[in-house]
Order: sequence, then structure tokens, then C-alpha cells
Amino acid sequence: MSEKVIKIGDTFSAKEDVDKYRTIYYAGASGDFNPIHIDPEFGEMVGLGGVILHGLCTFGFVAKAITDWTGDPGALKRIKCRFAKPVHLGDTITTEAKVSSIEGSKASLELKVTDQEGQEVFTMTSADVEL
Amino acid sequence: MDLDKRFIGKKYGPLIYEVGKEKIKEYARAIKNEDPHYIDDEFAKNSKYGGIIAPPTFAVVYAGMLAEPFFKDKELNLNYAMLVHGEQEFEFFDVVRPGDVITSEGEIVGIENKEKLDIVTLEGISRNQDGRDVCKATFTFVIRKG
Repeated sequence: MSEKVIKIGDTFSAKEDVDKYRTIYYAGASGDFNPIHIDPEFGEMVGLGGVILHGLCTFGFVAKAITDWTGDPGALKRIKCRFAKPVHLGDTITTEAKVSSIEGSKASLELKVTDQEGQEVFTMTSADVEL
Repeated sequence: MDLDKRFIGKKYGPLIYEVGKEKIKEYARAIKNEDPHYIDDEFAKNSKYGGIIAPPTFAVVYAGMLAEPFFKDKELNLNYAMLVHGEQEFEFFDVVRPGDVITSEGEIVGIENKEKLDIVTLEGISRNQDGRDVCKATFTFVIRKG
């Protein structure tokens, strides 16, 4: 339950910088040590142009944008995305959200997640929050 | 060769994960989320939750454990080198707190064979020590055919 008053059409956005060491922190915390995330030489070798951020770390940034907006982490009831484009170190991720519908106590959000060049790193991103 | 649809219904787990407070803090900092609900004991004690809670996407840690037996399943024999994480969905039913003992069970709920790729959907249900569902995780993996 969130204390916020939410209306259809409400928008919010948030930005997150992917610092040089982010994949190292995330690998340690999540246990995902896939070399594409931590070994730049391996990332080059497989054609990714260096290491790429864990998709679920970007997913965490998007969830943070939502829970910062609701003010209550427990208000987030569902979140979904399709991973569309790799995120690299030094990228800046922007989450833009809009309340698309409200049914009873549930508000649905449509989200756009882009890098600094405006390219969508996730598509079909949606979430539900409880009012 | 197509991934055989007879694997739909195949189950993984149960896997058990005991939630630690410092692990929650470590995870929150890793996703650059310093919301005091996750890291500030004093704030959290006075919140409506009465103590530290985990960020919703901490499900990556306890439900994500299901990916390992799935990836390593010799019968399924996935081509890991050709596999990418296609989609992710989490549904949250209850907050997760330090000391919770979370049991996760996974099941292959979908296999789609396309010309150049297979799509596999793994669904995980995670319950706490009181038998309450805390999260349903749906992982969709895409495997390019070599």
C-alpha cells in the first residue's frame, strides 16, 4: 500500500550512471560471474565490445525508479521487461514511466528504458503498483 | 534441432535460501539503491515494516538459484554459449525480510520452436517459512540454433 495519490497519465523518470566497477559489485552480490560481465578481454572476444552490465542490474535500476516514486518498496507488485540491447560501462540509463491505467487499487505503468543515445535497452517494460 | 517440447512440465528444486540482513544491504548497494528500507536499521525499525526488508528484485538472488540446475540439466542439454536471457518478470506477493527461509520450486512452463531459435520459459514460485508465496519469477531464455 502506497500513501501516494496516483492518477492516469502521471509520469516520472530517473537516471542511473553505470560506473566502471558496477558489474564487479553486481557479480559479487548476485553470484553471476559470467565472464561477459567481468572480463573485458572475453567481452571483446565474443563481440560485445568489452564487458556488459547484467540485465538484471539494469532491471534493478528500473525497479528503483518505481519504488523511489511510490516511496514504499512493498507497493511494487509486478515488473516485466524484454532485454533488447546490451548496456556498457559508462552508459547512463534513463527510465521514463507513465501511469497507463488504474483498476481498483492497482495502477499499471508503461516504461521506457533508454541509454544516453536514446536507444531502448529494454522493450515491453511494464509494472503494476498497489495504491 | 528443436528443443523437445516433452520437457514442458519438468521441475527443478526445491531450493532453500536463508535471507541475511547484510546480504540484503550488499545487494541493495550493488544495484545503487540506498533506500533506507533496505540499509538503515533505525529508519526501518520505525517504518511500517518494523525492520529491514529486501528490495523487490532481491528475488534475483533466491529465485535466481533455480537457473543453475536448469542450465546444468544434462537431459535438457541447453547450448549455454548460444543462450541469452530474453525476458524477465517478477510478481511480488509479500515482502522478504532478514531471517526468512525461502523455498523456490521451478518448472518449465513453455517451449517454443522457431526457425532459428528456441524459446524456453522457466517459472519459479518462492514461498517463505510461513508457507506464504513471496514471488513468482518468470525467466524467458532464447537459444539460437548453431
